[in-house]
Amino acid sequence: MVNERVNHKWGMVVDIDRCTGCQACVVACQAENNIPLNTEAIFRQRRAIEWIHVERYWEGEFPDVKARFIPILCQHCENAPCEPVCPVYATYHNNQGMNVQVYNRCVGTRYCANNCSYQVRFFNYWEPVWPETLKNQLNPDVTVRSRGIMEKCSFDIQRLRKAEHVIEGQRGERITDENLREGNFLPACVQACPTTTLVFGDFNDPESQVSQMKEEHFVEGGRGYKLLEDLGTEPNVIYLKKVDIHAKTGVETHA
Amino acid sequence: MGITRRQFLRWSGASAVGAVVFNGCRIPEEELQVESPVDLPEDLVTGIDNWYATICRQDQESCGIIVRVVEGRAKKVEGNPDYPINRGKHNARSEAGLQSLYHPDRITEPLFREGSSGEFTPISWAEAHGKIADSLRNLPDKNRFLLVTQPLRGHMALLASEFVKSYGGKHMAFETLEQVTLRRAIKDVFGQDRLPDFDIEHSKYLLSFGADFLSTWLSPVKYSRGYGELRQGAGKRGVHVQVDSRFSMTAANADEWVPVKPGGEGVLAMSMMHVIIREGLGDRVAANALTGGNGYMALDAFRPNNSEVRDATGVDASRIEGLAHAFADPANQPSLAIGGGSAGAHTSGLFNLRAIYSLNLLVNNVSQPGGIFFNPAPPLEELDSREVLDMGVPASFRDWKEMDRPQVLMVRGVNPVHGLPPDANFTTAVENADFVVSFSSFMDETAAMANLIMPEHTYLEDWGDDVPDPGPRYQTLGLQQPVVRPFYPGTGSFGDEMLALGKELGLNINDSLGLSGNDSPTFQDLLKKGAEKLWMENRGSVKAATFDGFWNGILQRGGWWDTESTDKTSPAAPSILSMAWPNIAFQGPTGDDTYNLIPFLSNSIADGNLAHLPWLQAAPDPVTSMVWHTWVEINTKTAEEKGIRVGDMMEITSPNGTVKAPAYVHPAVPPWTVSMPIGQGHTTFGRYAEGVGVNTLSILAPITDVDTNALAWAATRVRIRNTGEHIDIPRFEGNVPAFEAEEGRIIKIASPR
Ligand code: SF4
Ligand code: SF4
Repeated sequence: MVNERVNHKWGMVVDIDRCTGCQACVVACQAENNIPLNTEAIFRQRRAIEWIHVERYWEGEFPDVKARFIPILCQHCENAPCEPVCPVYATYHNNQGMNVQVYNRCVGTRYCANNCSYQVRFFNYWEPVWPETLKNQLNPDVTVRSRGIMEKCSFDIQRLRKAEHVIEGQRGERITDENLREGNFLPACVQACPTTTLVFGDFNDPESQVSQMKEEHFVEGGRGYKLLEDLGTEPNVIYLKKVDIHAKTGVETHA
Repeated sequence: MGITRRQFLRWSGASAVGAVVFNGCRIPEEELQVESPVDLPEDLVTGIDNWYATICRQDQESCGIIVRVVEGRAKKVEGNPDYPINRGKHNARSEAGLQSLYHPDRITEPLFREGSSGEFTPISWAEAHGKIADSLRNLPDKNRFLLVTQPLRGHMALLASEFVKSYGGKHMAFETLEQVTLRRAIKDVFGQDRLPDFDIEHSKYLLSFGADFLSTWLSPVKYSRGYGELRQGAGKRGVHVQVDSRFSMTAANADEWVPVKPGGEGVLAMSMMHVIIREGLGDRVAANALTGGNGYMALDAFRPNNSEVRDATGVDASRIEGLAHAFADPANQPSLAIGGGSAGAHTSGLFNLRAIYSLNLLVNNVSQPGGIFFNPAPPLEELDSREVLDMGVPASFRDWKEMDRPQVLMVRGVNPVHGLPPDANFTTAVENADFVVSFSSFMDETAAMANLIMPEHTYLEDWGDDVPDPGPRYQTLGLQQPVVRPFYPGTGSFGDEMLALGKELGLNINDSLGLSGNDSPTFQDLLKKGAEKLWMENRGSVKAATFDGFWNGILQRGGWWDTESTDKTSPAAPSILSMAWPNIAFQGPTGDDTYNLIPFLSNSIADGNLAHLPWLQAAPDPVTSMVWHTWVEINTKTAEEKGIRVGDMMEITSPNGTVKAPAYVHPAVPPWTVSMPIGQGHTTFGRYAEGVGVNTLSILAPITDVDTNALAWAATRVRIRNTGEHIDIPRFEGNVPAFEAEEGRIIKIASPR
C-alpha cells in the first residue's frame, strides 16, 4: 500500500473565533492516541501530556475582563526547529508536510522539546500504566510509548495511512475533504470539535476547505495568521483571529 | 462503487448475539493484549474495524454516537453524523464512555448482604432476581415502593410507568441542580410541555441569562455546533451577550458579559421589557398581552433608573437601556433570549425565567429562524401519555423532602445520596427502608447503602432508546444498541429485569405493553414492538419493505426521525406577566468575608456522575484549568486585599456545614461572589473518584423557589476563611510554559467586518 503515493500536504486551520475551550479535542486525542493517564500527581509534577491543549489568556480586570481560548498542537512546521537538533533523526519531516516522530529511534535527549517554540512536545518521564481492563480501550493502530521517549501530535497519521489504504488503494480515488469525513479518517480532534474550530485537509488540493480558507483569510485585513510567525518556522497549522466587537476598526490589539 | 460511510456502520439486529461481529474471546484474561509493538508509524498496517451507531448515555442530551469496534473491543467514540441532535459532533463526556465500559472498578456480578451493614457477598443474577421479587411480593402496602431513576424517556419511561401503575408505589426522577423551574417557565410562557429547540445557529443576537449552554445546559453539543455557525457561519457574525452572576465557560466566550447580581436576572429582563415597550420597539400585540393592555406603565417599578433595579441587578440604567435597544434593534434580528442554570436557581427563579423567556415574545421570534421552535409530541402514541411523559420530569427539592418513606427502594442510574443536599433527607430514607436495591455498575454512595446491588450493563453493552428533550423540532427516536458483548457475564439489563419482575409478580404489564404471547420478553422485544409501529407508519428517515429491513436500517443509522413531523399547533396567546416585585432571598451569613456561593456543573465530570472517569478528571476546567479537584474561585482584587493566594486552603461555611477547598484566584469572579464546581467529594465511587475534592452540594442551604419548590441552589451565602494551609493545586496551567511575554503573538484580535 505504500507504493505510489499521491502528493499531499496536510495541514489545519484553527478558527479561534469559534473555539469555546470545551476540551472535546483534548479528550478525543487522548482516546485516539493511547496517551498515558494524566493523574493528579502527574499534573503536580507539571508533566501532563496533552498533544493538543487549550490555553486561556486573561485580559483586563473585573468587570471589563475577557478570557480568550486557543487550542495549540504541533504546528508541523516546514522549517521545524525540533528536527535538526535530534542526534538520531528521530523526528523528521515527511513528504506530506508532516513532522513525524519515530518512537523507536528516540533516545530521549529532549533537545527537540527544548528547541520547539510552541511547547507541544511531551516527554514520557514514566512508563505508562493502565489497569488491565482499561487496556481494552487502547487503539491497536497506535504505538504505546515507553518511558524515556518523546511524543507529540502526529496529525493522527494512523488514520491517514488507513485513508490512503482504503481510499487511494482500494478505491483508487483521491483523498478529499468529503471522503476523509465520510470514512472517519479525520484527525480525532477535528472530528470531535463541536464548534468546527478545527478544519483539516490537504493544502495541495486547491478544492479543499483548508486551501480555500487560506486563500480567503490570508489577504490584507483578513483574519489569517501564524503562531510566532516571525520565527520563520512556516507552520502547516494556521490560525484565524478572534473577533472582538469592541476592537477598534482595523486596529490589531495585542491580547 | 465507492464505499459510503453508512456501509461502515454495521448493524446487528438480524443476529441474536448483539452487535459484536468479532467476539472470539469470551473473557478478558484470555485476550490478546491489543497494544501494538513499537514500530514505525509510517509502516503501520491496520486491522479491520467496524463502526456501530448507538446513543450516548453520559448525560441527558443523549447524543447519537458511532463506536469503533476492533476485535470485539470498543476503541473510540465519535459523533453520529446522521443523528439530528448532534450531527456528527460530540463532547469530552461522550468520548469517555469507553472508560466506564472498561473501568477497573466495575461491579461485575450481583452483590447481597443481610441488613444494611456488613460485607456484600456475590450471588447469581437469578438469586438476586428472586430476592427483589420476594421483597416486592411481601410488601404489605404496595404504595411504599419507590423507584428512583434519572429522568426517563422513550420505552424505558413506558416500561417504568406501566410497572408502577400495575404494581403500585411511585417513581421519582432525580436530576442534580434540577431543571424543574425551567420546565414550568416554558409551560407558562409558551404553553409547551416539552422543551423547545433554540435556533442558536441562525440567531444574530443571543442573550443568555445564566444558561451555561456551551458546557452543561440542556443540549450543549447541539448548541456548541450552532454557536460555531453563529460566530463564523454564513452571513453577519452573531453577537452573544451573557448575563450571568458567574464567569462561566459560556460567559467567557461571550462578546459581552454582564455580571448581574445573583437573583437579579428577572428584574433585569423586566427592566429591558420596560424600555422596549416604552419606546415602542417590540411587537405591540405581545406588549399588550404581557402587560394586560397597560403598556410600560405596568412595568414602572422596573424602570431602569429606579434605584431598586440598580440594587437588585448591579447593572446601571444606561447599560440596561443599551441591552434593550440591542435586543430589539431591527438590525440585530433575529434575536433570541434564553435563560436557566443559576438564573432559575433562586427564590425568584420562576419569576426570572418567565421574564427572560417573555422577551422573545416582544421580538416575535417563535417559529422564526434564529428563534424558538416548539417540539412535536414523541413519535409513538404510547410514549405521549401523561404518565409516560412525567417519568422525564425531575422531582423538586420539596418533593424529595416531603416524600413518603419507602419500604422497598430501587435506585437506577443516579446517586442521590451524593447528589441531594442533606436537608432532602434522602439518606435517612435509604437508611430506614427495609430493602434497597441499586442497579449501579459502580459502588457509589447510594449503592454502598443498598442491601442488594444488581449491576447494570453499561450503555455500550445494552439496548435502549431515547426521545430527545429538547428535540430537534421533529419527531426523533434514537436507538441504543450493544456495540460490544457485555464485558462481564455477571451484569444484566435493567429493562429485562423489570419485565421479568413484572411477569414473576403476575402484573399484567406484558399485555399492556403489547408483549403478550412472548413468554420471557426482553427490553429489546419492547423496542422492536415500538419499531414495528413506526415501520407500519411508513414515513421518515427509514422506510423498508420488510420489518427486518426497517430494524436493520434504524440500527445502522442510530435511530429514526421524520423531518416533516414538526409541531403544527399554534402557540398559545401570551398571558399577562406577574408585575409584583420578586422576593429575592438568600440563606446564610452576611457581613465581612461573606459571599454569594454560585455552584456550577463541571464541564467534564458534570454533576459528579462522571467523576469516576480518569479522562474527565484530567480534562482541565476551561476557565481555571483545574483538574482532579474542587476549588473555590475568588476575585483577584478581593484575594489581594485579604492576602489569599492560589492554593491557599479555604474553609467555606454555610448554615449547613463547612467544606475545605483550595482557592483559585482570577480576575473575572464578581467580588460579591465565590463559586465552586460540584460533583466531587466521593467517599466511594471507584479509584479515580474517591478522595478527590469535596462535595459542594453538602453545604447548600435548603432554600427553594417560591413558586416551584425547586432548590434555589444559587441562593446560599457562605463565609470564607483562610486556614493558613497551602497546597500545590493540580491544574494544567504551568504544565507547558505559557507564551506570556508574547501573548500578542499568540492570540490575535480582529474587529468584526
Ligand atoms: S491531529 Fe491527532 S494527534 Fe494531533 S492533536 Fe489532533 S487528535 Fe491529537
Ligand atoms: S473541541 Fe473545538 S471548541 Fe472545544 S476546545 Fe477544542 S478546538 Fe476549542
